[in-house]
Amino acid sequence: MQDTIDLLEAIGRDASLRHASADELSRVLEQAQASPALTAAATSGDRAPLSVELGAKPNQAPQITQAPGHEDDEEQEEQEEQSSASARRSD
Amino acid sequence: MGMTLGSHLTPLARSHIEQADVVFAGLSDGIVEMWLQRMHPDVRSLQPYYREGKSRLKTYRQWVDLMMAEVRAGKRVCGVFYGHPGVFAWSPHKVIEVARAEGYEAHMEPGVSAEDCLYADLGIDPGRFGCQHFEASQLLFYERRLDPSAYLVLWQVALVGDRSLARFATGAPYRQVLLDLLSRDYPAEHEIILYRAATLPIERPRVRRIALRDLPHVPLTAEDTVVLPPAVALRPNEAIRARLEALDKLEKTGTVV
Repeated sequence: MQDTIDLLEAIGRDASLRHASADELSRVLEQAQASPALTAAATSGDRAPLSVELGAKPNQAPQITQAPGHEDDEEQEEQEEQSSASARRSD
Repeated sequence: MGMTLGSHLTPLARSHIEQADVVFAGLSDGIVEMWLQRMHPDVRSLQPYYREGKSRLKTYRQWVDLMMAEVRAGKRVCGVFYGHPGVFAWSPHKVIEVARAEGYEAHMEPGVSAEDCLYADLGIDPGRFGCQHFEASQLLFYERRLDPSAYLVLWQVALVGDRSLARFATGAPYRQVLLDLLSRDYPAEHEIILYRAATLPIERPRVRRIALRDLPHVPLTAEDTVVLPPAVALRPNEAIRARLEALDKLEKTGTVV
């Protein structure tokens, strides 16, 4: 059985596979001896079997906030950073 | 890292990952993170620092501290973030700012963002009618001017109105506030698009079309982006056109310097 992450990478970088139909992809994956989970996920477009196979938990995505009322925290944080950087420079 | 496993990572970004002493990962997909782990023996996930009830601002500051601790220890550090590291992401900009202020070399490599995928998957050209982008909560917290003759793209709508910075989703009453605000410029029946880019190459982008009025009640995650196509036609600016026409005439007669 071929490694699932390697196969995902191979699909992602191959123009003929990245936008292949589910049937076509399923056929290619069976020939490549992909795991049943990857073949099932590719056929259905549902990642759930893959998450089970790989033990992947859902990740959080947000990486920015709007922070009214927290602006003081930001200023305080910057002042602390500046003073600690000055202290390091004078060491 | 781009958005889609195997498709978007640039050769230069991959080289940075491979040549780093330590790699920090801020990725939205656990399977993509597993792929990254194949590229380097010391990949440290930033995911464990998120916690429901904890200010995300604190989490993002911790990420900066973690990366800077390794920089100060003399390591070559690579922070890997999903999409474009500098788009709707606080800590990548901050850590570069802090590193440079302390005299270290630091720079950002661009990546394929969710915004880039959105244009391709939805067939939208931001140059056609113009395109405004807002983090959804910013639209509620501050006085902003919407232009309904342009596209409007709203990010992180699932969290809209969260003043605590500690939740990963708000809910229908919060989205109703957003709907009320948008209803000043858009009709309730206006068709809007809910979009999510594919992160695995076996997935298709998720595209749902609904009426604006239904926005508070549809299931949304933080990865879903809301697109409002233009609701009104572009209006000619007659005064400026007349001024340009006058300039053109002067130019023809050779009197424009």
